[in-house]
Amino acid sequence: MSELQPAYRQSELSELVEHDRVHRSIYTDPEIFDLEMARIWGKTWIYVGHESQVANPGDYYTTTVASQPVIMSRDHDGQLHVLFNRCAHKGAQLVGDECGNLKEFRCCYHAWRFAMDGRCVSIPLEEGYADAGFTKDDPAASVRKVPRVGSYKGFVFASLSEEGPDLETWLGGVASSIDNMVDRAPEGELEVVPGVMRYEHDSNWKFFVENLNDMMHPMIVHQSSSLTARVVAKRELGKDAPLPPALEIISPFTQSYAFFDDMGLHAFDNGHGYSGGKNSIHAAYSDVEAYNEAMNEAYGEERVKQIFAVNRHNTVFYPSLTIKGAIQTIRVVKPVAVDKTIIESFTLRLKGAPDELLKRSILYCNLINSSANLVGPDDQEAYLRQQEGLKTQGNDWIPLSRDINSDEELEPGHYYAKGSSDLAFRNQLKAWKQYMLAED
Amino acid sequence: MALPDTLLFQHQVEQFVYAEVRLLDERRWEAWEALFAEEGTYWAPAAHDQPNPEEHVSLIYENALLRKVRQQRFKHPNAFSLQPFPRTSHLVSNVMIDQEATDTSPLVVSARFIMHEFRRGQPNSYAGAYRYELVTNDGGFLIQQKKATLVNCNGTLTSSAMYF
Repeated sequence: MSELQPAYRQSELSELVEHDRVHRSIYTDPEIFDLEMARIWGKTWIYVGHESQVANPGDYYTTTVASQPVIMSRDHDGQLHVLFNRCAHKGAQLVGDECGNLKEFRCCYHAWRFAMDGRCVSIPLEEGYADAGFTKDDPAASVRKVPRVGSYKGFVFASLSEEGPDLETWLGGVASSIDNMVDRAPEGELEVVPGVMRYEHDSNWKFFVENLNDMMHPMIVHQSSSLTARVVAKRELGKDAPLPPALEIISPFTQSYAFFDDMGLHAFDNGHGYSGGKNSIHAAYSDVEAYNEAMNEAYGEERVKQIFAVNRHNTVFYPSLTIKGAIQTIRVVKPVAVDKTIIESFTLRLKGAPDELLKRSILYCNLINSSANLVGPDDQEAYLRQQEGLKTQGNDWIPLSRDINSDEELEPGHYYAKGSSDLAFRNQLKAWKQYMLAED
Repeated sequence: MALPDTLLFQHQVEQFVYAEVRLLDERRWEAWEALFAEEGTYWAPAAHDQPNPEEHVSLIYENALLRKVRQQRFKHPNAFSLQPFPRTSHLVSNVMIDQEATDTSPLVVSARFIMHEFRRGQPNSYAGAYRYELVTNDGGFLIQQKKATLVNCNGTLTSSAMYF
């Protein structure tokens, strides 16, 4: 694709997403994918990692932003940086492994050295560049930082664009989902624990992101796991026996339409949104007494009631991050190709909470986010079949029209609808269209 | 002439391991389940240096109850991602007795495996290490823990449902 001759003219792009339907090509056309990488992923705020992953001076963590390798590092003065993972010299990736701790970066190719903030420290035989007037102090000798970095309560985002709203403005109404996850820690801080799961989906990234707040699918797609869990529990443990934590996690996925309707959907600017609010499928987990005590001691009973009254299911920070505050897991979206996406799952520790809370989050991750889990492969089967089915000329359009006239504006820019509404899809694709049509 | 006891024991252990993976390939879940001790666990870690299954995520960590859910799900008519049902072939080798049983600790056996799988029209290949903790039972063995560590357990993986 050349910038001079884009595969799609603006008017053609504009026609792919209408208020009540979306054209299949946005999920199947590799040229659309390239445009998404440039205009959405290459412009807006993309989740990089959590500050706790680089807690100490000299720590680094490598990942990607818009498919471009980056390093999140903490320098020896404690400052956080996000650098392009590219040696300033011949472009070799500066860091090859996922994480570690260093005094400074040293390129494996010609041993140029850089401080943790990317500043060039030394070049072998630097005097060889004397005639060219080039020294290690030349800005071009340093590793480039990504244009913009922002951190909201430890969640680090980067933007490859110099311009755009600041992070907090961009987060808008979904910042409160991060607030609630942080508030659930008696010490008011979260920590990513070791152990990331990378799960390859042979399908478009938008299927995954859209599915998170698709409240019409769980009771259908998850019958084989969730209904089975209920049957096995009844048979093995007795009809009214309390469920062990693992089955408490799997069983609610096949709640009724009425339950998911009641959870509700909330939508905000920039494609963000969440399902659940006062209630979700994570609301009925057994109490952990020591945790409640630690929370009451830290915040006082009234405040703790307010914190626990917020029980959201999935919050989408469109397009790159999805979090489950009530069970302290996050999933990070890494598009690879039009039909390939890697979903990374991380588990977070609530600082000051008893170990049982982390163990429950880990159990959740095993059961729901692992590539060998009982629940997710049936979601993925649906995306795979969409990826295949939308190749056909059976119908170019997918409807977005369920409850199209029932959105309620709770406050400016904050929309609400019952769970079965298509609100989340309409809202995400509205943002998709805005990003894709924005002029440079 | 009778084999020396150590050779006979090695043979018994190997036969147990071969029989165990054969039951998986033949989809005889109830018979496979019967190989586990009451508190026996199946564990596929998500990292090579993973200290334990409770404080770190795992690809699979299942007790008897969760194994029943998985096996029951295999038969569910709406387990769409298992249609057609995957076929597997487990190949086990390098079976070694790492630690003899004592009064307080189980027999520890290690082995290497390759599992080929045919799923959704695609061949997949998994390889790694087995570690069995076995207790003796009526002259046979019961599994206290079967641990299957994939060589790429910490890498990017696609959907899977079968036991490695």
